[in-house]
Amino acid sequence: AGAGRRCPGCGSAELLEDALYAQQQLVCAACGCVLAEGLLTTTYSEEQQRREVAYSQSTGQKEQQSRCLQRGIRRVQDLCKVLQLPAVFEDTAVSYFQRAVQHPAFHLLSLEKKELLGGCCVFVTCRQHNWPLTMGTICSLLYAKQELFAGVFLSLQKELELSVPALSLADLVKTHLNNFRLFQHSADVPVPFVEDKEKMVARTLQMVELASETWLVTGRHPIPIVTAAAFLAWQSLQPGARLACPLARFCRAAGVDVPPPAHLRLKELLEILLRMASQLAWLRVFNLDKKTVVKHIGDLLQHRVFLLKNAFCAEEEEQQPAAVLGQGCPGSPRAGAQKGCPEGSKRQREGDARPLLPPCLIRPRKRLRTAAPSAAASAASGDEPISDSEVEQYLRGPDEIRAFSRAKGWP
Amino acid sequence: FKDDLSTSLQLFTPMSPYDVDLPIQATEDVLFSSQFHQPKELPTDFSSVDLSFLPDITQDNKEQNLSKDGNETQEELDGSIPRNKDSSGTMDESSLSYPDATQPSPQASDACPLTPMTPMPPATSASESSGIVPQLQNIVSTVNLACKLDLKNIALHARNAEYNPKRFAAVIMRIREPRTTALIFSSGKMVCTGAKSEEQSRLAARKYARVVQKLGFPAKFLDFKIQNMVGSCDVRFPIWLERLLLTHQQFSSYEPELFPGLIYRMVKPRIVLLIFVSGKVVLTGAKERSEIYEAFENIYPILKGFKKAS
Repeated sequence: AGAGRRCPGCGSAELLEDALYAQQQLVCAACGCVLAEGLLTTTYSEEQQRREVAYSQSTGQKEQQSRCLQRGIRRVQDLCKVLQLPAVFEDTAVSYFQRAVQHPAFHLLSLEKKELLGGCCVFVTCRQHNWPLTMGTICSLLYAKQELFAGVFLSLQKELELSVPALSLADLVKTHLNNFRLFQHSADVPVPFVEDKEKMVARTLQMVELASETWLVTGRHPIPIVTAAAFLAWQSLQPGARLACPLARFCRAAGVDVPPPAHLRLKELLEILLRMASQLAWLRVFNLDKKTVVKHIGDLLQHRVFLLKNAFCAEEEEQQPAAVLGQGCPGSPRAGAQKGCPEGSKRQREGDARPLLPPCLIRPRKRLRTAAPSAAASAASGDEPISDSEVEQYLRGPDEIRAFSRAKGWP
Repeated sequence: FKDDLSTSLQLFTPMSPYDVDLPIQATEDVLFSSQFHQPKELPTDFSSVDLSFLPDITQDNKEQNLSKDGNETQEELDGSIPRNKDSSGTMDESSLSYPDATQPSPQASDACPLTPMTPMPPATSASESSGIVPQLQNIVSTVNLACKLDLKNIALHARNAEYNPKRFAAVIMRIREPRTTALIFSSGKMVCTGAKSEEQSRLAARKYARVVQKLGFPAKFLDFKIQNMVGSCDVRFPIWLERLLLTHQQFSSYEPELFPGLIYRMVKPRIVLLIFVSGKVVLTGAKERSEIYEAFENIYPILKGFKKAS
């Protein structure tokens, strides 16, 4: 039914179902002419074209599929179209969705969550094909709260036993930088801010790699790191004009949000860069700080393998006498110095090697109370006698009961 | 100048920016014990896991090590350390294939001269190699008091009770010793949480039952059961969660967008582990203490493989 429909406006056969609006519309892809709009009364769709036809004209092939499932499948397909995913992704996502909806764990899920389930299936499919889609993006498409989405996603992963590979940072960098509007001059982007996309992507990739080698990426949300790395990369490509521009201004110019942790990531990256700079012979003469080090990022990245090796001392060495330390810690060793590294002159203080560790281990927030079991507890058998007095301390006396009732307004 | 100084000052030449000094001995403990001593049956779900995450050993590396102090454990096990599977581009040196578990080390067949192994402590079983005992942090248990309860009445007569029927359909009661919290339902069922040991949980549950008895209800103490045990510990080294995900994908879920830790669902025993970059590990889902210990002993050698990834 209606297989050979053509657009009355331009005669094109390229007709699409557009589900981006509240109504279903049949639209010509060539000229935009609207052929049919959603009807107030729903009819079963004919499976070939997925266009609405009168019930009596439909083939009835899909009648065994519930309306809920059909709607869900269509939603999954629409998501794939909006994200412009390859066709094979759509089939995989739909099959995951069908499996999920029939699974006892999800059979009785609310419709709100079933829609999230569809989004999760698309998300999982993308990750399995290394397509860099973040949860944030999918949540905004679904207008979903991230916690709710997260719960459904983890359940889906567990119940269907899906293996979801890690998000590829390199792909994420490329995709995320696509959103940055820095590659052309505009009202928000003055000429000194405009940057060549290839150069920026290449350098941001190197910065992100550096971050991941120095424990700044593991366990952290990836987007703030990419943002901070992109900022430093961009600054370093033309430091003269850009050093004065802060992160917030950069993001505004680029047309992206500043994720709150990005400032912290920036600080951490700069600390790493400063330590590396202290190992470059020709940079040691400058007293670099976190602004001026940006000018030398190109050099630092080029020699990063060597610099990282020497800028950080080994974890185990903090127990050993300082004399054994590598060349990164010149100066007279002093027993009991912090982390086993000697404190030299002010200039060498920046070169003080610290172990290469995740930030949470460098700055431990609090000393965890090691729960040493008390003597009484360790001897406990669970069957000790319980004294009446101990129990009675938890009971209210009659006066207290009266006072409490009155306070509560009970009779 | 750099290479000369670094080889003489460091225990072995690091192969990548990640590698700093690491006495290989600790890793070899595990390798030896699991390969040659096999004191206990390796769990079947790990039979397919090879030890290829161990650091790669190159020809240059071996020669340098041969000249070092003989007390240092030699890295080569006659060419047995296979190539590291991680994506670091520096590992392009010749990889040597991993021998069968039955092949003892003295039968070196390759060109490299046999290096005497540092005498190892005899028969160290894999279960003794970690030396870390997870500490129990929380026990959840349930018990049936087997009588209908008037929750409003309990809230009125007990000091340590909290009852907000609009928020939750149970009385929340707390006692000081052992420091625990109980959820008491009108059906007579009760949940006790917060204890640090099974015995403490049982004692606490009995105390709650006594309080309810004193309030005038014919409370019994039926079907006491430990439902969940949570333990935690610290392996004391940072862990590359991304690599753990890569090699143990079928057990792991790592979503830094959602949660900083990696969720590892161990099959045997059925325990869920939360593994963090700092090296702290939380184990949950156990019905018995031994499951927590067993799960940790299973995961420790795996985590050690990611300690200083090459």
